[in-house]
This record gives sequence, structure tokens and C-alpha cells, in this order.
Amino acid sequence: MERKKVIVGGWFDLPRLGTDVFSALVRRNGVVYDKSTGFKFDASTDLPGAVRTLRSAGVEVELALRCFLCGKEACTGCPYLASCDRTSVSTLCLCADHAPEKSVFGEYTETFDVILKS
Amino acid sequence: MWSEKYRPKEPDELIGNEEARIALSLWLSKWEPGTKAALLVGPPGTGKTTFVTLLAKSTGMNLVDLNASDVRTKDKLQKRMGEAMATVSLFGERSLIFLDEVDGLAGRADIGAVEFIKESVKESQNPIVMAANDPDSDEIKKLTSSCVSVRFRPPPPREVEMYLREVARGEGLAVEEEELRGFVIDAAGDVRQAINLLQGSQQASPGKEDTRGRYKDRDRTESEALNGFFGATDKPEAMAALRALSMSPFEKVREVHRSVVKSGLPAPEMARALDAVSRADVLIGKMMKGGDWRLLRYLDRIFVEELYPVVRGKAVKYTGQDDLPFPMMARVWNDSKKIREVSLRYATRAHTSGMSARSQDLPYVFALCSKKKFREELEHSLGLDVDKDVLESYDKFLTKEAAR
Repeated sequence: MERKKVIVGGWFDLPRLGTDVFSALVRRNGVVYDKSTGFKFDASTDLPGAVRTLRSAGVEVELALRCFLCGKEACTGCPYLASCDRTSVSTLCLCADHAPEKSVFGEYTETFDVILKS
Repeated sequence: MWSEKYRPKEPDELIGNEEARIALSLWLSKWEPGTKAALLVGPPGTGKTTFVTLLAKSTGMNLVDLNASDVRTKDKLQKRMGEAMATVSLFGERSLIFLDEVDGLAGRADIGAVEFIKESVKESQNPIVMAANDPDSDEIKKLTSSCVSVRFRPPPPREVEMYLREVARGEGLAVEEEELRGFVIDAAGDVRQAINLLQGSQQASPGKEDTRGRYKDRDRTESEALNGFFGATDKPEAMAALRALSMSPFEKVREVHRSVVKSGLPAPEMARALDAVSRADVLIGKMMKGGDWRLLRYLDRIFVEELYPVVRGKAVKYTGQDDLPFPMMARVWNDSKKIREVSLRYATRAHTSGMSARSQDLPYVFALCSKKKFREELEHSLGLDVDKDVLESYDKFLTKEAAR
């Protein structure tokens, strides 16, 4: 089985998996597809469904989340890596640079406001 | 409760679902008549209702909050939503219509309700937001074409930890990192539960240091958590034990019931304890029948506020899922099966739902069964007299129910 690391919100490519798998991913699981950039899992994707579809097609997906504050991959070095079901939690997290112990709540709410106003 | 004290007061103070919250805020800011409704889909406790409430408050809109489980028919919806949909204030201020638990629209009684909502979306002068727990329910599938669908999920553990640290900071606590992470993992994305675990751990009485970390072990057994509830020294500790219990609501009620029945409490206390358990059971029944998942939040409260004071300091213990004595199990099982059967047959005859029959009509019908003639007519009318053995068994059951 091929292993593939996929960052939610980032583009990735897949080998040719056939029309049925493509159709299931895009139509049923809500995976975004663009001919030039490839596939993307986003907040509206049925992540458990998409991971299941790819597994049945021989691709084992390892999901990673992005940091809400800086956009970097958030899962590297996360103490919750083993217990976090990344297919079921919301799609943005906090990276090691913005770890909870660094009192980032103020920065978190400010970032939310800034994005909303922009 | 700290979970109330630290409840978010602004939309940006919620955690998790950043993209969903931003998408919904943008949808609302751009809304004009004819725009699709928003449909928030996600499990209970992910912040759907809280976010909509805060969003309405922050935008100065009047929130018209309806629960689809309470307003299940087209007529009722029309009555409750109709005015809100058509009304805009003299100064052009709009209301935000929030229809919660739309996946609670199910069954015969709801014919026309989904279609009414779809039509309303097109005509409404005010934005409509709907929320549902189950994305795969038929009602949600029917509504999808008229809605912008937004998924809500539990926040990731690191964000829960961030919020928990904020609470700890607010309370001036220095909590060990390992302990804090234990609460985050145990809460499994439920911020309220994480806060309750933190509060429960801090409110354990001095000299009970062992209790403080009791629930941080993920592999703790159900037995430890349930016995933690029965043996708790105060309500916060009892609540923390229940919240740490990883059982479905049905299992929770069943195992608490089992423990109470086997406890050998004196009759008056047993009656009070079983009364509390039955209220919890009724709550679960209502939740399932009406799809009103919000009721789930009251389950632990019923146990803590009503059952805990009765069993506190008494010899009530959970001894695992070994069965109750067979005669008792058989009685419980047989009676509930008969009540279900009678209510369904009665519902068909009386043109009502099984739930209404059980909760509204049958208590009176059973009382009237003390009269033999009425009982016989009822048995005939419900078709219980087709077989002699069946008739005999139901007759005995109805006589017993009438005597209660």
C-alpha cells in the first residue's frame, strides 16, 4: 500500500486511481480537484470518507493539519499526535511555534478578527 | 461552574472550526433576500448554537431561535417562522432566524415541514441558519440544495489545551502539564468537559490528593469512573467522574440503574434513586424520539443533582456488567416489550404516534383497565385476543398495570 502525507488545505497529487475512485473522492467525499494543482482536502471535505476511499484504492493517507496562526504544518512534534483523530477534528490547529504553553490565546482571537476583516 | 464563567462572549473567543466560523460570518455579512440559507452540520458540543448566538449578538441582530424538534409540523413552523421571516424593522434591521436540530424533523408528523423550510429560504426577508447533528439524515439531504453547508467538528486537542490554559490562568492555577494534557485527551474535543475536569480536579478536598489525578488515566475502567461517581465527596467530583465515563448515554443509564437496583438501598431511598434514573431514561427517550440532542447536556446533571444526593455515602457500587437476577431482568424486559407492543397497536387505532400513546394516553388507558369490561374491549380492539396464550399474558400485564 502506498503511503501519502496530506496536509489539510494543501494541494497534493495522486497516482491514477480510476474513474470510480476519482468520482467518489470529488463527488461523494467533497475533495477539491483542479487539473493544474491536483487534489485538496478542505473544511467541507468528508475526511473520514475520503481517507476510506483512498485506502480502498491502495493509498494510505497520513493527515496533517495546518497552523491557524502561521499556516505551517502543525502536527510535527505535537504531544497529542497519537490520540488526535485528524479526520474528525476541525481542520486548523496550532504548530510548535504557537504551542498552547506560549499563551497564544490573545494572538488566536486577534488573527480570527484580522482574517474576518480582510 | 467554570464552564459557564468561561463561556465565550464574542465569536472570536470560540476555538476550533475557524474556517467554518469565518465562512458563516462572511455569508451573513453578504446576505440579502434570496440568498441560500446556511446549514451547520456537526456533532453536539462543537459550538454550532453558541457561535450562531454570539454572531447574532455581535452583529446586533435579533436572534429568533427555534428548535425543529419542538416545532415539527408545517403549521407550527409557519406560525413561528412566518412572522420572523417577513418582518424587518423600520430602520431595516434584520433578525437572524436559527432553526436548530433540523435532523429532528422525522416521521409522519413532519410531512411538509422540510418543503416549507425550502420555500421559506427563497422568500425570507431575514437570514436563516439551520443546524443539524447528522449529515446523513434524509431531512438534511433534502435541504442541502437550498443551503450553504458548513461542517462543524470538535476542536483539535492543542486548541482545547490553549483554552484550558486560559481558564487556568484566569483562576490563577498552576496545573502540571501532564495533568492538563490528560484532561484534554479525556475530554475528546469537548471544551466544556475539559473545563469541568479541570474544575473537578481543583475542587477535590484537601487530603484527597489521589482523587485529583484519578480521571486523567485514559485507560481507567468504567467501574472506576462509576464508582467515582457513587463514592464522590461532593457534586463537582461526582460530575467530573460522570463526565470522564466513556459510555454511551444509554449504557450510562443502564449501568447506573443496574448499580442502584443491586445496591439494596432501603425502600424509600431506592424509590427516590429509581425515580431519578427513570427521569434520566425519559430524557434519553425524548432525545432519541425528537432528535433533540441538546437534551444530552442534562443527563449528567440529573444524575448529579437528583441521584447523587440520594446515593451519597450509601453502599451503592458498580460491580461490572454482570446481569441482574434473572427474574428481575425478565420482568423488566417483558414489561417494556409489552408496553411497546400495546402502544404501537394503540397508536395505529387512535391515529397518533407511538410516543404520544406511551406518554399521554396509556397511563389513563391502563388505569381504566381495572374494569374488566374495558380491559376486554381494549384487548379485542388492539387485536390481542387472537391467541389464547397471548391474550392471557396481556390480560395479566394490563391487570398489573391497572393496579399500580
